[in-house]
Amino acid sequence: MWKYAPLVWKNLGRNKLRSLMTGAAIAFAVAMVCVLRTMPAGLDAMLDTMSTGTRISVHNEAGITYGMPYAYLNKVRAMPGVVDALSFTWFGGVVDQDKGVEFPNFAVDADRVGVVYEDWKIDPQALADFQRYRDGALVGHMVMERQRWKIGDLITLHSTIWPVDAQLRIVGEIPGRPFVWLQRAYVEQAMLAQGQNWDQAGVIWVRIDDASQLNGLMAKIDDTFRNSEAETESETEKSFFSNMMGNLQGFVTILLIVAGLVTLCIVFIAANTASMSVRERVGELAVMKALGFRWRTLFGTLVFEAALLSTVAGAIGVGLSIGLSALLRLLVSFNPSMGPLSAFIVTSAVLVQGLFMAFFIGILSGVLPSFGAARKPVAQTLREVF
Amino acid sequence: MALPLSYSVRSLFARKLRTSLTVGVIALVVIAVSLFLGLASSLRRTLVSTGEPENLLVMRKGSDNDGSSQLTLQSLQDIRFFEGIAKDAAGDPLISPEFVMQPFFRTKAGGRENVLVRGVEPVVALAVHRSVKLVEGRMFAASAGEAVVGRGVVGRYLGTRLGDQLEFGRGRWRVVGVFESEGSSFESEVWVDVRQLANDAKRGMPYSSFRLRVADGADAGALVRRIGADPRHALEAQRETDYYAEQGESAGTIFVLVIFVAVLAGIGAVLGATNTLYAAVQARTAEIGTLRALGFSRGSILRSFLVESLITSALGFAIGAVLAVALAFAVSSALGGIGFGAATFTTNVVQLRVSAGDLEAAFALSLAIGLLGGYFPARAAARLRPIEALRRA
Repeated sequence: MWKYAPLVWKNLGRNKLRSLMTGAAIAFAVAMVCVLRTMPAGLDAMLDTMSTGTRISVHNEAGITYGMPYAYLNKVRAMPGVVDALSFTWFGGVVDQDKGVEFPNFAVDADRVGVVYEDWKIDPQALADFQRYRDGALVGHMVMERQRWKIGDLITLHSTIWPVDAQLRIVGEIPGRPFVWLQRAYVEQAMLAQGQNWDQAGVIWVRIDDASQLNGLMAKIDDTFRNSEAETESETEKSFFSNMMGNLQGFVTILLIVAGLVTLCIVFIAANTASMSVRERVGELAVMKALGFRWRTLFGTLVFEAALLSTVAGAIGVGLSIGLSALLRLLVSFNPSMGPLSAFIVTSAVLVQGLFMAFFIGILSGVLPSFGAARKPVAQTLREVF
Repeated sequence: MALPLSYSVRSLFARKLRTSLTVGVIALVVIAVSLFLGLASSLRRTLVSTGEPENLLVMRKGSDNDGSSQLTLQSLQDIRFFEGIAKDAAGDPLISPEFVMQPFFRTKAGGRENVLVRGVEPVVALAVHRSVKLVEGRMFAASAGEAVVGRGVVGRYLGTRLGDQLEFGRGRWRVVGVFESEGSSFESEVWVDVRQLANDAKRGMPYSSFRLRVADGADAGALVRRIGADPRHALEAQRETDYYAEQGESAGTIFVLVIFVAVLAGIGAVLGATNTLYAAVQARTAEIGTLRALGFSRGSILRSFLVESLITSALGFAIGAVLAVALAFAVSSALGGIGFGAATFTTNVVQLRVSAGDLEAAFALSLAIGLLGGYFPARAAARLRPIEALRRA
């Protein structure tokens, strides 16, 4: 096969303009499919990295915004099998009051973060500082980048829910996360200063020591609070986040439809080019067959040609998608109603899929027109041509 | 002398596979772009069409949505009789005290979504929100455990059809009516009695926001200032339409995507169309040479090829437009509307429709594809020298 490589290369170069334009069209389309795919893929990737088998989310059975008494935390913490637990309460802080919430931010129990989120690889020094300083804030890596903040910066978060303006100092980074934490104690004290007792918690996150006990513990927690003023619903971390993002499903469906349409576009463009080059070479193919080349060989070289063009273009497109995603990340600011879909994180799975897609499209588009041309009886073709 | 239109049309039909592949590429681009445009404009239309210019929305200072605002009964009593608020026939001010919660609703598929439940007083709510109209059943009665649901909610969640028992929060509610509001985001809400909802939620403060109607001829700006300056309560008033226009900015992300898809897919389609026409020019070299020898001018050859390209793109647009409208309708109906709102704690249900405006934009794009994709091959055809062209053949 490989000895025909120079022939394939020469054929590709025969109509340089056409090869170039086809290649460019495929590259752009592959880039677009990849970028569109980064949106749902970012969602999946986020769900996977956020999900361990040893964390449980506990929230009010009626809804996330209903809240629970903070005292539930200690009851949960005392249960056998529970390593530790912390409360996670929406602070709704804005940096610029005209812009609204640009990133999620939560009040958490600073002394429990290290244990409950042991797997997040937060710098131990940052954790120690977050516990020590009441005004400390841990800022997710993605927020850090977007806001151009660095450790040591002073920031003010005006809460849109609680009557608190939190003046905070960034003490560290939460790797790979899109949100900000501040100390629950900070909010409690600020509320107390205004004569209000803050005893609500939004979600309680529970770390357990044995993943096999997960279901038993979830049932036990919910039983404990049954018939109380705030009945709870416990669920796994994965189920919590997929429920949270569940209402984006419709949008993701449309994204995938559009990505599918563009893929079909690539097939059409590639097939069109392949059919043109084959048609122009009918006479030449007949001569080669008359010289003794087997049809398999001719068919192979034609398909190889289409696949080569499409794969090379696909590789360029994949590279292009990395740059385009970065561009989109700059253009699109965090958008609460789009959530992680607007993160545009290019995962390696998306890139590999893009490359394989281009390869298969190349083969597919080459097979159809080449098959007929290579099979045609020599005499008939030559008669048609001369 | 000009070449007849039928020459261009017949040339297209001479190469059916090639023409249909090119038409297909343009049609696919039109579908992709129209779907995204339709999504962005449907979302924007839903949010922007919400609210009325005569209405003011009063929230706690600093709140950016009524889900995060809390107001006291005292503040309602203090502003109720401010000058400039419209009054009903009995002389009562048209001010609707409202309380919103975002409880879980269960979808048919077994998921759950946060739905905005608005507690209102049955009579004054409809007097203030004039766009809201009951289309089935009746308005709920006060303190009777009844609910009315927006059109976008019906059937998307369990227990949301007329006559159903709807479970959310801590209680059960009977669905007694369905309302519409010209496609606005109120249609993604459920309305119940304000006191019952506040009791159910066990919130310290009974209200989230007040909606009031400005009297005819009254100075809305003065009322906004007076409410904002009241020293007893930290309140902020704004026009309802301004508030929802701000919420509509979330459509911006999708618009960026639309432009992105339109540009990239457009370039791809232009390259594809150019390729096809170049091949056509090459295959027809002898023909063009003959035409030139017969006396047809360069301009008429150029025009003829451009027309061929424009017919291709118009055909692609026509097929794509029909499919896009149908596809949007099918997807939207199958999914029960497209939900938005990942981190806003409420789901906005948007009915996806490809509007005439979206199609106009898609038509402009396909026209541009036709012109750009046709120009260079057409110029190449026009520049062929008759003698050489005939000799080559």
